[in-house]
Formats: sequence, structure tokens, C-alpha cells
Amino acid sequence: MNFEKVVFAFFIILALSLNFGFFIGDMENPAHHDPHELFAALVVSLICTILKFGDRTHFGSTVLATSLVALLQLIAAAIVWYFASRSGAGVDAAEMARITSMAGGALVANLLSVILLVIETSQIRK
Amino acid sequence: MSDIFFLVLRRLRAPLILLVTVYAIATLGMTLIPGVTPDGEPYRMNFFHAFYFVSFMGTTIGFGEIPYPFTDAQRAWVTVFIYLSVISWLYAIGTLLSLLQDTTFRHAIAQRTFRLSINRIDRPFYIICGYGETGMLVNRGLTSLGLQTVIIDYNPERTSSLELENLPVMPITLNADTTEPQNLVAAGINHPRCCGVLALTEKDHTNLQIAVSAKLMSNRVPVICRSEIEDEAENMASFGTNHIINPYRTFARRLSLLVHKPALHKVHNWFLNQHSREHQSERELPKGRWIICGYGRLGRAIHEQLGRDGIEMVLVDPNPDKHDASEPIIEGRGTEADTLQEAGISEASVIIASSKDDANNLSILITARQLNPDIYTIGRVSKEANQPLFVRTGCDYIMRRSQVVANESLTIISRPLVSRFLRLSNSISTEETEHLIERIENLTRHHSPITTRVTLNRDDAPALSRHLHLGGSLTVGQVSQHPFFPRGDGIVLLIQRGNDSTLLPDDDTHLEEHDDVLFCGKRNKLLLVQHLRDNHELVDSLINQNPHQIPLLRWWRRRHNALADGISD
Repeated sequence: MNFEKVVFAFFIILALSLNFGFFIGDMENPAHHDPHELFAALVVSLICTILKFGDRTHFGSTVLATSLVALLQLIAAAIVWYFASRSGAGVDAAEMARITSMAGGALVANLLSVILLVIETSQIRK
Repeated sequence: MSDIFFLVLRRLRAPLILLVTVYAIATLGMTLIPGVTPDGEPYRMNFFHAFYFVSFMGTTIGFGEIPYPFTDAQRAWVTVFIYLSVISWLYAIGTLLSLLQDTTFRHAIAQRTFRLSINRIDRPFYIICGYGETGMLVNRGLTSLGLQTVIIDYNPERTSSLELENLPVMPITLNADTTEPQNLVAAGINHPRCCGVLALTEKDHTNLQIAVSAKLMSNRVPVICRSEIEDEAENMASFGTNHIINPYRTFARRLSLLVHKPALHKVHNWFLNQHSREHQSERELPKGRWIICGYGRLGRAIHEQLGRDGIEMVLVDPNPDKHDASEPIIEGRGTEADTLQEAGISEASVIIASSKDDANNLSILITARQLNPDIYTIGRVSKEANQPLFVRTGCDYIMRRSQVVANESLTIISRPLVSRFLRLSNSISTEETEHLIERIENLTRHHSPITTRVTLNRDDAPALSRHLHLGGSLTVGQVSQHPFFPRGDGIVLLIQRGNDSTLLPDDDTHLEEHDDVLFCGKRNKLLLVQHLRDNHELVDSLINQNPHQIPLLRWWRRRHNALADGISD
């Protein structure tokens, strides 16, 4: 068992599950989406991206690309959230839907990342 | 580029993750810990404010507590994270700095700059493999002609001395194994501007490897090899190495020329050694018996060459049993008086110190001079640094291996007409050679001349080729001297027309378009033909004898004629 691989897989799957946790729920209902979960998803995505740096194999570059996509979407969602909550009255339904759909986009990218990881793992001969 | 970028990212992975983690926890904490507004209302920072505060907390402590003064709980949290963030920043910056010092990283940077500068070359260039004494001389010669060179040598100490040399064109250097084909490719052997590869390392086998890989990589590029061993030279020739230079045989041939045609030897010396002159005294080579001290590669080459010429020779070597010479060899180094006397030093006229060891050679020459003050001495220098010592001993003719190779290869590369002239010059009679020497000496006042090649085509000599194209006549006399340019006098050595060469044409010989003409003239002076070649006015007034027109009118008329002929300037 390789500790480095454990950490790598851990962060990739954690990014997906946090992302999913944030995304799940009523699209327009702010009560179903916690900003701390978005923050956690964003930070874990960032760590994932850094972990994938410098792997020059084909697999490495594709996984890095999916990670960058997820990161971009999550950052966009966070910025939208900031502007939506600036008035102090809380996020309205339309804004919430926008944030959630962005997180949904990131979810797809994270899902792809995990699928790639599974394929890579299954290719290793026993 | 991507190599370096990814190397940096990979090395910075750990510090970056630490930074992200510290910032994330600090930000999260700031959003969770309750604060109080000045009115006493409970208040919580949002993520944006928390991130903003944490960002300047780590780098510039002292922006103050915003938006409202902190509670004690918030201050405790900030205190902890000030230290943590400073530590992680130090870690990240430290890693980055140590990466810049890292040899792998520097190597990656050096390779990248090398690749970039090879791609950017926009003029003809030569690849020099091996930067020893020979490589240095060749490089100096090539750069003084304004040519770009690419130097590959394993030893960075050798190439670093390049920066101290004041070269007109800065060579591009690569410190890598010359025998690896990928390095030749990196040095641009497949580059369209690559004109040749010179294998000049000290080891014959390495030169052979370079020649093989160069020929396999790019058949178009000519390869010039230095070789000191017969077997390897034959091997090199077998797969089409273009020129193989054996310094010993070359020098032996020069000696043979000196014996038979001293005048021609002088001419060769002038034209071959235009970059670094050989040391040779004014004395004439006396006839008589030769003593060769040291029957190594040089000794054998000289013995073979001069044996064919019927010269009586005595051989001296410390290990006579090792060699299978046709003649008996006297045992001894030649440094002692006994050995030299046994070899008959008092009746000999020439002594050659041809061993590998400079100190022994010096000792041989000094002892020989003591025993026979009139003897003509020829010494071999192995290390360039010892050359002044040989000059001090009054050595008449000094053989520097690296110089022989360098001058030979420079002539082959940069002056193909000169090497053709030298090849053909054996057919010139002694009287003619002496006449030529006299002409050259009158011209240059006993300094060594330099050669210039002019091709009468539109690129090299537009004015002259236009004149010929319009049906004008041009003779050798018209381009070689004119009273208007007393310092621009030149001598035409060779006219190359297609495959025909004319040696030393007389003044009435007519030149034609596309002729290749080899001139010789004074060093550092522009020849008449160099003034003429792109100056239409000068051609008009000196050759067409139309000196009385107003220049502007003449220009207009020429332009008019050109348009009428359908030729544009």
C-alpha cells in the first residue's frame, strides 16, 4: 500500500463528495445549500489541483484538466455568492439556482476525475 | 518551457498544499468565531471578509482589525495563525529559492536556453565537437569570419573560458556528451542553416562516433574529422566522412614540400595559416642527414613521407623493440649527448624532436644545438602553453598539432577556393612560384597576405555582374589594380569557371559572369574589387571610362537603361 496514493485518492473522492453534498437539495432553496460546504469543496478542489501538478503522463494531464475545470466553476460560484449576499438580505432563489448549477458543473468534472482514477486503478495488473 | 514549469510545480507541491490548508483553516475559523459590532450587536464575518483579512494577516501584519475591533476569541485565533501563515510562507519561499540553486533545475533552464538559441540562428553555422586547443583555434577562426558556431563539450570548465575571449560572434555552448546522437540533434544538425560538423576531440574513437552519428542523422551536412590513427581514419572514410585530417601526416607532407619546393611551402604557409601563423625561422633547410628523435606517430609519418623522397634518416627511440621499423633504431631518448653522438649529430643537418613529451623535446633541441650549432631544429609542441619555450630555444620550425588541424580545417571550410589553389599549385614551376612570392612580397611589404573570394554574380558583386551582363568586358588587370586605389592592389590567384580552374591568370584574361575569383591582398585593406563589386558609379567611371557625367544624371540614365532592358536593380 502506497501512502501517497491513498492521499491522492482521498482528496479526489473527498472533492467529489463535498461537491455532491453541496449540490444535492432543492436548486432554489438557500436553506438546502451551506456556504461552509462550498468553501470546503473549494479548498479540497484546490488541494487536489496542487496534488496533480507535475505528473506528465497522459492520465496526469487529463486529471489535472478536470480538476482545473471543477476549481474554476467553484470559484465562480463563490464569487456569485459573495455578490448575491452583499445586500445583507440573504441570497434569493434565482441567485441560489445560479450558484447551484455552477456547483453542478463542477460536480460533473469531479465525477470524471474519479472515473479516470478508477480506470487507472483497474489497469494496474495484480 | 513546460518542462521547467512542471518541475517548479512539482517541487512546490508540498509548500503550496500547506499554504492552502493554513489559509483555509484560518478563513473558516474567522467565519465561525462570533464578533461584536461597536453597538454590541452579535456579528459574523462572511467568507469574503475573512479571506481578505487572512490574506493580509499572513503577509503584512498591521492593517488593523476590520470591519470592527475583534473579540478576545478572534484575537487568539488570529495570533495562532499569524505564526502558522508566516512559517508556511517561509517554507514556500525557501523551497523556491533552493529550487533555483538546484542543479537539475539549472540544467533544465540551460537546455531550454540552448534549444531556443539554436532555433533562433538565422545564419550559417558550424557545430564544433570538443573544445580543446584545436577547437579553440577553429572557433576563433570561424567567428572572426563572422560565422556562428555551436560548441559541444563535456567539460563546463573548458567552455566557460569562452566568455573571457572577445569573440565577434558569441558561440552557443552545450555541455553534454558529444558521442550521444541526441546532443548533435539538439545542436541543430538538422537545422537548414547547419553547414558542417567538426569532430575535433582528442580521442579518435570519439571522433569516429561523432562522424557516424552525424552522417546517419543528416547526410547533407559535411563532416570534418580529426584523426591520428590510421585504422580509425580508414573506418571514417568508409562511410563517407568528407574530410579526415591527420595532423602528423599533414605535417609530414608539409615537411616534404619544404624539402623539395621551399618556395611553394612559403606560399602554402601564407594561405593556409591565415588565422594563426606557424613559427618558422628565415633559415633555409639545409640538405643532408636527418635525425628523428621519437618514433611515435609523428616520427613514423615523417619517416614514411621523407623515406619516399629518398632522404637519409637516423631514428632514435627509447623503446626500439616496440616498433617494426625497416631501419635499425638507436636506443635512447635523444636527450643525452651519447645517444645523439651515436646518431651522428655532428654530420647531421636536421634534427626533429617528435616525442610526446614537451620537456624531453626541449632537452633534445638544446642538447643538439650544443653539439652542433648549425643544425636545423624542428620541434613538436604538445601543449600550447609550452610554445614560448620552444621559441626561446631558437627552434627553427615548430609543429603544433592543434594548429595544424585548425588551419587545415579552416581552409577546407571557409576557403574552398584556397584549398583548390593549394591543390593545384603543385603544378606551378619553381620560377613561377618565386615570381609569385616576389609579387606578393612587393604588394604586402613582407607581411603575410590574406585571400578574398569574389563571385561575379548578382548577390556577391551586383555592379560587376551587371556590367558583364550588359555585354561589357572585364579583364583581370582591371579588377586587380588601379591608381585611384593604391592600397587596394590585389593579385588574382585563381579563376574558377564551372569546373575549369585557371591558375595565376595574366592581366589580359577576360572575366565572365558567374566566375569565382580568388584574390590575395594586404591584410586589413579593402581590395579594389571589393570597392567595385557593389558600386555602379565606380564601375562606370573606372571600367567604362565615363568619368565626366554628373552622378545624378548617370544614375538616372542607368535606371532608364535598366528599365529598357527589363532588369531591375
